[in-house]
Amino acid sequence: MKQKKEYMDLTKYAVDQAMKAGADAADAFVTDSQNVEIFTSNRAVESVNSSSDAGVGIRILKDQKMIFASNNDLSKDAIKEMVVDLMKKVPFHTPDEFNVIYGKEFGVLEGDWSSYKDLLSYDPKITEVPVEEKITKAVTLETSGLDHSPKIAGAMYVGYQDQATIAYLANSNGISGWYPSGYCGGFAQFSAADGDERQSGTQIQIGVNYDDLDPVQTGKMAAEKAIQMLGAKPIKSCEVPMVVSPEIGVDLLSYIVGMLSADPVQKGKSLFAGKIGESVASGNISLIDDGKLKGGLATQPVDGEGVPRQTTPLIADGVLKTYLFDCYNAKKGETESTGNRGRGSYQSSGGISSTNLFLKPGNVKPEEIIAGIKDGFYLTVAFGLHAGINDVTGDFSLPVAGFKIANGQMTYPIRGVTIGGNLFEFLKSVDKIGDNLTWIQSTGCPTFSVESIKIGGV
Amino acid sequence: MDSKKKRRKLTRREFLGRSAAGVTVLGFSSTLMNSLLLQTGCKTGAQATDLIVPEDVLKKAVELLMSKGADFGEVFVERSAFDTLMSDDRKINTTTLFEKGVGVRGVKEGKTFYAYTASFDPEEIYKTARFVADAAAQGQAGEETLIFNMARETSDLSFPIVPHPDEVASDKKIEMVQGLTERAWSADERVNQVSQYFQEIMRQINIATSSGKIINQLIGRTLFYALAYVKDKDGNLQMGMDSRGAYAGMDFFTGENSFEVVVDKSVERAKILLEAIDSPRGMFPVVLGPGGTGVLFHESCGHGMEADLVYKGSNYKDQIGKRTAAKGVTLIDDGTLPDLPGSFAFDDEGTPSQRTVLVNDGIQENYMCDLIWAAKLGIKSTGSGRRQSFRYPPIPRMRNTFIDGGDVPPEDIIANTKKGIYVAQTGGGGQVDVITGNFMMGVGEAYLIEDGKITSPIKGATLSGMGINAMKTIDRVGNDLIVFPGAGMCGKGQSVPTGFGMPTIRVRGIMVGGPGEAWDNVEGGAK
Repeated sequence: MKQKKEYMDLTKYAVDQAMKAGADAADAFVTDSQNVEIFTSNRAVESVNSSSDAGVGIRILKDQKMIFASNNDLSKDAIKEMVVDLMKKVPFHTPDEFNVIYGKEFGVLEGDWSSYKDLLSYDPKITEVPVEEKITKAVTLETSGLDHSPKIAGAMYVGYQDQATIAYLANSNGISGWYPSGYCGGFAQFSAADGDERQSGTQIQIGVNYDDLDPVQTGKMAAEKAIQMLGAKPIKSCEVPMVVSPEIGVDLLSYIVGMLSADPVQKGKSLFAGKIGESVASGNISLIDDGKLKGGLATQPVDGEGVPRQTTPLIADGVLKTYLFDCYNAKKGETESTGNRGRGSYQSSGGISSTNLFLKPGNVKPEEIIAGIKDGFYLTVAFGLHAGINDVTGDFSLPVAGFKIANGQMTYPIRGVTIGGNLFEFLKSVDKIGDNLTWIQSTGCPTFSVESIKIGGV
Repeated sequence: MDSKKKRRKLTRREFLGRSAAGVTVLGFSSTLMNSLLLQTGCKTGAQATDLIVPEDVLKKAVELLMSKGADFGEVFVERSAFDTLMSDDRKINTTTLFEKGVGVRGVKEGKTFYAYTASFDPEEIYKTARFVADAAAQGQAGEETLIFNMARETSDLSFPIVPHPDEVASDKKIEMVQGLTERAWSADERVNQVSQYFQEIMRQINIATSSGKIINQLIGRTLFYALAYVKDKDGNLQMGMDSRGAYAGMDFFTGENSFEVVVDKSVERAKILLEAIDSPRGMFPVVLGPGGTGVLFHESCGHGMEADLVYKGSNYKDQIGKRTAAKGVTLIDDGTLPDLPGSFAFDDEGTPSQRTVLVNDGIQENYMCDLIWAAKLGIKSTGSGRRQSFRYPPIPRMRNTFIDGGDVPPEDIIANTKKGIYVAQTGGGGQVDVITGNFMMGVGEAYLIEDGKITSPIKGATLSGMGINAMKTIDRVGNDLIVFPGAGMCGKGQSVPTGFGMPTIRVRGIMVGGPGEAWDNVEGGAK
């Protein structure tokens, strides 16, 4: 995918138009992306959606009031019209002294952003490989799962997806630049059957580099997960130790980090408010957001406001160190931005989001964690986290599946039970952390265990 | 402001008069849409019957699309505006999103080939159509010149947007939301934060199909969400919410659907949660109140009845004619109901919308089909082919899904339940695994039922289990059906608005998860 000078010029044009129209400050963000999405069924392609997309988002600051609009029409006339419209509407907004277009107060990345190779998550191969080859990859993924075992009854969602994007940013304080990013991956869900019983297994592999994709392995893993669940049954309600697989660990981390965003904290919506310097988790827990991680899926040179990406330790040895900030919340909190203004596409003015987030690994082998438990539960599937976790109170209640741990061994599969508790208490009850830091997309987590969890059964 | 007045051509009465004649005649007289109109070369206040791109361009695009042997396909043209007004931390901000584009789909031997362009330039549209035609040919067929006879198709279904979004000035809307925000803040001294969202969406869609139809329809939606955070003196924090979403204008928001009711309910729900005890866990009777709670069956059963998932082996495969629910339970998916978010005159591949009975008195009668998967299953499209936007090909989706009303007074259902819980509001959405039929659903507002009476509020509950089991263990169906105009979006790789509903019902076969005590061997709890 090639950088387009006209798009860089267009961001500057949009900013100039805004300033001419009387803005106090402005920024413009253009994203230009190419996407491929392939679904397969019956070992052949089911649908192919191959497309490219570009658009512009403009933020205008006027009299401490901020306004945003976006459009996928990149003509100069459309931009002019947008600016006129924004200037008409902005007087009705509420003034907010913390509204800000980034100056250079938290540093700048000098020169060409795209030249910082270690800060890019981009493989040019994603747009060079012909669609036919990607179709072959997707079909291979499906075939590998279907052929894994005679117990595999069928495939539900199987496919391949990629995206390559070039982002262009300019603002009225002299910040401007562009950088590419991208991802590619395969996903599969298979059903395993035994008589009338059906079980499902899902596996997703998403990464930066096209050549790292291993559709054969992804297919086999999804199929194997379905087979392992055959014979699953509920257990009685109980309170036992629980081992959490990295796959569920990363999901839980993503909810915890949401509450560590400065925005809900400052607005009184997060229970982490006012806890800086306090113990909020077990002493073995260190949670780090690393926007500069080499090879990380979320690694970028700058954030959505042009602030250089950073490494931010959020929790260190159980103690809360800081929140994630963008420029608005930094100004409000009289601190510095941590470079966490996420901005996925031109359609959004963005908000605070984590980058490459991970729980620091311990030094125990995951097998040793299981070996130390006499009677417990190994959690491998959790369902509906977006609905089952209250991101205000931290209360959670989730239908789950996994395996019974008996005398230090994984035994039969369990389905049809729930776990319940509170994330804040959960963080404090983590007792062992494995050495197997496992990255799933942009979040990393090792296997870990908690002393006790309430299981709801029959 | 003057220019705005000049731009507006249609008066409210004219607008109503026109819309009564059918969905194809709604006009863009709005400033909301104004910049789109400028971009596309249409004059502001253009006749509502105007297509986004000329009919001869659509016709030629379809001819090119079909020139290399595709079985069928269509050209989908869209221009949309999304106006959002957010109130958070007593600050008002607005955002506007304009989108336009042309999606072209070719289907060959059940396979979908799709591409889109953001340009309305005829040459770009033809190029996209040729690209899809080539892809669908899969290196086989040669080119032939086709002539299509295209005809405009209209519908008797009408979904008026009253008032049109631009009949109310932006500052009036801001004033309204500011007032609603203050209403929430002053409702209780424990209110700690208030967030509200008001959104208006207008989408004009043209579809030109290889079966020769040209459709021009306007889909409009108005949404309102209210979130209230309350904090007590011990530092306990809770959030309550309520929302509405309708295929209608602001005039819809009256009575039980008024903005004030939504705001008051958000605060009330947060306050109730401050008093709530931890939900019990286990298998025991669950009574679900009427309305938006119907999302439970959207999630647990509806998805498994979507034709693509049925074909691939969901737990509803091969169930036509078989019992999939208790006697007395009828599940309907209806895309023709006025005001509801999942309604439309034509689906996104040009099939007229309809009312589809999925389960009739406990027996599976139909699935939700688009053209491709209906053909694969050997049945007819139910007008359920929907897409998020021009960027996506259509797939089978739900519209407004509900369990039909029965004959039991709701108070009798509660009075007849010795021990269990009453769910007044589901919350946060849900998820389903269509292979196993396992589902989960979050719970917002709920209470214990003790000796036939609703008692203490509970928190932290979730509902889960197997969809078919849940439907088969419904043992009471109330006479108080409500199909709820919710603001919910349903995700299946693409996001579309859907409506949900049901009367008060009682289910025995649902597992309740919660952080509270374990309830074993409760009377009426399924095993």
